Amino acid sequence: MLNYNSPLVKENSYSELSMKVINPIMKLIIRGKKREFLSGVGKAINMILPTESCTSSTSNDTTALWLSPDEWMILSNNVIDKNTNSYEQENHLINNISKINLGAVVDVTDQYVLINIEGKKIFDLLSTGCPFNFNDFRNKKGGVIQSLMAKIDIIVHHKEINNVNLLVRRSFSEHLYSFLSDAASRI
Amino acid sequence: MFLINCPFCGEREQSEFKAGGEAHISRPKQPTELSDDEWAEYLFMRKNIKGIQFERWNHSHGCRKWFNIARDTSNDQIKAVYKMGQKPPVI
Amino acid sequence: MAKNLRTKGSKFIDETTRVCFKFNGNKYFGFKGDTLASALLANNIHLVGRSFKYHRPRGIMTAGSEEPNAIVQINDNTAFTEPNVRATEIEIYEGLEATSQNCWPSVNFDIGGINNFLSPILPAGFYYKTFMWPASFWLKYEYFIRRSAGLGKSPKFPDPDIYEHKYIHCDVLVVGGGISGIMAAKISAKRGLKTLLVDENPNIGGSTIFQNSKYYKINNLTSSSWLENEIKEINKLENLTIKTRTSIAAFHGYNFLLARENLTDHLSANEKKNKVRQRLLKIRAKKVITATGSLERPLVFNNNDRPGIMLSSALKKYADFFGVACGEQNVLFTNNDTAYETAISLDQKGIKVNAIIDIRENSNSELSKEVEAIGIKIYRSSTVVDTYGYKRIKKISVMQLSTDGQSVKGQKIFINCDCLGIAGGWTPAVHLFTQSGGKLDFNEEDQIFLPKIYPSKQISIGSCNGDFELDKIINNTLKILKEFLEIDETEYDNIDVSGTRNLNKRNIWLLPSDKILGKTKPFVDYQNDATAKDIKLALREGFRSIEHVKRYTTTGMGTDQGKLGNMHALGIIADTAGVKMSELGTTTFRPPYTPLSFGTIVGRNVGEFFDIFRKTPMNDWHVKNKSKFENVGQWKRAWYYPNGNESMHEAVQRESKAARESAGILDASTLGKIDIQGTDASEFLNRLYTNSWTKLDIGKCRYGLMLNEDGMVYDDGVTTRLDKNHFIMTTTTGGAANVLAKLEDYLQTEWPELDVYLTSVTDHYATISVCGPNSKKIVSKVIPNLDLSEDNLPHMSFKNTTIDNIKCRVMRISFTGEQSYEINIQANYGISLWEKIMESGKEFNITPYGTETMHLLRAEKGFIIVGQDTDATLTPIDLQMDWIVGKKKYDFIGKRSLYRSDTIRDDRKQLVGLLTDDPKEVLEEGAQIVANLNKKPIEMLGHVTSSYYSPNLNKSIALAVVRGGKNMLGQKLFIPMENKSIIVTIVDPVFLDKENNRLNA
Ligand SMILES: [Zn+2]
Repeated sequence: MLNYNSPLVKENSYSELSMKVINPIMKLIIRGKKREFLSGVGKAINMILPTESCTSSTSNDTTALWLSPDEWMILSNNVIDKNTNSYEQENHLINNISKINLGAVVDVTDQYVLINIEGKKIFDLLSTGCPFNFNDFRNKKGGVIQSLMAKIDIIVHHKEINNVNLLVRRSFSEHLYSFLSDAASRI
Repeated sequence: MFLINCPFCGEREQSEFKAGGEAHISRPKQPTELSDDEWAEYLFMRKNIKGIQFERWNHSHGCRKWFNIARDTSNDQIKAVYKMGQKPPVI
Repeated sequence: MAKNLRTKGSKFIDETTRVCFKFNGNKYFGFKGDTLASALLANNIHLVGRSFKYHRPRGIMTAGSEEPNAIVQINDNTAFTEPNVRATEIEIYEGLEATSQNCWPSVNFDIGGINNFLSPILPAGFYYKTFMWPASFWLKYEYFIRRSAGLGKSPKFPDPDIYEHKYIHCDVLVVGGGISGIMAAKISAKRGLKTLLVDENPNIGGSTIFQNSKYYKINNLTSSSWLENEIKEINKLENLTIKTRTSIAAFHGYNFLLARENLTDHLSANEKKNKVRQRLLKIRAKKVITATGSLERPLVFNNNDRPGIMLSSALKKYADFFGVACGEQNVLFTNNDTAYETAISLDQKGIKVNAIIDIRENSNSELSKEVEAIGIKIYRSSTVVDTYGYKRIKKISVMQLSTDGQSVKGQKIFINCDCLGIAGGWTPAVHLFTQSGGKLDFNEEDQIFLPKIYPSKQISIGSCNGDFELDKIINNTLKILKEFLEIDETEYDNIDVSGTRNLNKRNIWLLPSDKILGKTKPFVDYQNDATAKDIKLALREGFRSIEHVKRYTTTGMGTDQGKLGNMHALGIIADTAGVKMSELGTTTFRPPYTPLSFGTIVGRNVGEFFDIFRKTPMNDWHVKNKSKFENVGQWKRAWYYPNGNESMHEAVQRESKAARESAGILDASTLGKIDIQGTDASEFLNRLYTNSWTKLDIGKCRYGLMLNEDGMVYDDGVTTRLDKNHFIMTTTTGGAANVLAKLEDYLQTEWPELDVYLTSVTDHYATISVCGPNSKKIVSKVIPNLDLSEDNLPHMSFKNTTIDNIKCRVMRISFTGEQSYEINIQANYGISLWEKIMESGKEFNITPYGTETMHLLRAEKGFIIVGQDTDATLTPIDLQMDWIVGKKKYDFIGKRSLYRSDTIRDDRKQLVGLLTDDPKEVLEEGAQIVANLNKKPIEMLGHVTSSYYSPNLNKSIALAVVRGGKNMLGQKLFIPMENKSIIVTIVDPVFLDKENNRLNA
């Protein structure tokens, strides 16, 4: 039996701010340019991919983040089973996309660590290391941006008002989490 | 530090981007047909002008897409941003 | 000396809170709200420091950030110490200790003061002239210069304070909270614009907030009471953030500004505990309104630097704002009406003004009349020709000015004073504007530089835009803002402003004395001790460009960047050279406007946040098993695992032997991994790599070498064909990000027609490499369901499999020359699989090895490491890797460059192996290689790139690049070291198992 080891087991609370690592969350990168790609994805996972830049779409069990004109990240909304790394949606996508040469499907479940940040001070926290202008972003849920936080690449998904999912590469996650909790302790 | 209007993501700070040198230099289709001098021209020779310069930039920490900009090197103002494959604007 | 010069009642000072501080070891008292300068002045202390070059006694000149003289060391000998703090800016707090700088043994008796008498031999450019020759003397000179010069002492202890950075985005940034800045902030915020107002002072209001003169009225209120009401109102505005004690350090292009927000420097040690000291604000503003005001100019005359000589506006601020008299016998010296305002203010506070010396012939303003009515003696058409008093001014001498202002005449009279206020007019603070790339225009009438061409969406208002009179400031501010913010009306359209001064000024940049210039000391730059004489000397010696004169005389090069004296320097150059100031131009104002501490610049990037670190999925295991770590790029990699007290050498020898004799295990997770999919994937690889890829079977792996277009080796690694249109590429650890970017570049820009998608999966996988003769037995225990036979999984092939229901990939690839299995499993199962392999390998003494052993093992096999054995000047041919270049391929990146005239030379540096005559002698990496030790200059043929003691071969081995090395097999060469020369022989770079028998052992 192989044990599942989370890169970070962290949960911190501050005034009007809390952070928590959530896993396992299925994460897939899907890429394609053709019109049939979009319809193929729709068929495979029963949702429409966001085509407007820096937005997301959500169904009951899945969320899709726009990353670039031909690249999306597909996330499970809920945690998945730790004892398998075979995902139904991945198989559907492979069969409907990569098997028929419409695009690429890549499992990146362990490539990224998902940090959920909640509270009124989220954007004060992010402004300690992220050059992005959150003035409009903070008022509208669903937005997705890729930027830098403390010089580390991040994906920010504005899930709900006062609730943000932050995705960071696994190898950077420990450093980023300490930076965030250090900054949060003074906010 | 510039603000660059990524044609895909919108206005972002320069730190999200990487510069990629002079734009509109295509890789020769048949390198083997070229003389040493012709190949060297492609490989090494770049313009460095005061005024409008066409440059390649990559939104490396964002959408990872390459695009072109027209930048006035005398004051760093970006006069135009346009996608790969498009002709340089007349400025 | 112990006098109290506090006048009664200032509402800006909290006289109920007494604050005790120390200056040069003595205890003094001030009040909450005092700056160090105002508190010292209240205690009748003017002498604060010594000047840089002549060590002349210097006092407090100003009441703001432009202060050149009163700079002190605070909290010396503690971790909190800071040099070059302006006494006029630092607010006193309980326990503050300040000491004078640039003097030894004390400010009252300074040995360096002798320089003052040596000054005839310390002219402009003295350092350049004297210390140039002979060069060998420089070290001696330097010792003495460093001891006697220098401003303040750098801290000896680590900075215990916390600093932070913060990004701020706003619609409108207003810099400066004087009257025009406050109006701008209100207008902007009331229009729904997200507005930020910053001011370097502890409170906003500028100089208007203490302007109680009856001559200036707004809507029938004194300008100060009117402004007080405005401040109350803007404090309530929702869209407006006001940050005080916040100074703009730099104004860059694209309205990107850096500001230092000072949060705790005014607090006592107890109050500031655990708080962020300073924050560097990185501000992006859609529009910037600069309202930085103006700086009063001094006058340049003989001995204009004695303690007690201050700006007239400073005298007024100390009286009106701090309630402090700077002297008991005050004299004012002026070329315009502002000194009269000061005189009236002082008189109203009961502070005695003995006289006003005015270089103008007359002034008919109301102010002037009132001063006369008070009974203050006015000397018109007169100038101060000298001052007296060493540590404090005692007396001045005054003479009549000639009509042209170039000489003096008549009787010399003497006037006693203990404080001389000088008023030379005003210089708009255009520093930030020019930093941003703005172009200035010279205004002849006011002899000032003004903003002309704005490089971004910004505007200047108020006196930094040349409006000095209240009515002009308000009316022009409104006019400019309407256009700038594109609005038709403002809250102030019906404002009623009254009062103005006499605008008449007389400008003489260098005032004459009865002595010849050579015998006088008219200071232009106080901090750097540059006098008018030095500037004239520079011109005589042929310097013409203002930038050259500045560097030669060091004018404007102090920590204050010559905020007070720059205009005089320009004026004196223009007058002497007979050119117009408009043609002369100005020197460049460079950031920061006021000095920033390193802590502020660095922010949180200290300690654990100094550099980003990346960790592999197995990191915790390495830590637990006492691995030593090596930084490889940002990665923390296991370097070697010492057993007990083993040295690095011993550990590496043990690990290397174990890997070849039984089994070793390596964490290879840092290798870059790129998922490549698409119908053109194999064609794409064909164009990238030097060898051919189209015919690689599904399930097979291949080593590839990637070049730059210039033909030089860029990266290498093994790529595996997972499916017809699906590959996974491994790159070097350091090259991962750049290789992906380069591949994307080609796909997006050169070959957009190719159907290929790239996705980085480096962090998705834990990569575990098991090697050695027993590796197969161990892997078969771990993955019993996988057929490891040579038929099913031969060298350079891969299989998808599962371990305990978890999908993973197993590859037969080898970087050690041993039979090896590389298992790629999802990262979060990595540590568990590693432990499982360790458990299964126990009976075979499986030995974890780190990067050092990996490097040794591959060197035994002659495998290169890109970036260690190569340096972007080596082609595959230079590396003796001709076998990997697909000569039949029509094209690949870098192919054409492989037969340029330069790349086909025989005498290029080429990779070879080296063996030392003494097998125990291990070469130093980087050591130079020569053929002839006697030839001078010595000819260097190349250098050692990798060097180890091989425990498997029992001898020292090395890789090197040597000019023409390919054809030198068997030749002896030398490696000259400090005390000896080592003899080496050139050999084939493959030292072990040339036949590759071990791969399938
Ligand atoms: Zn972008």
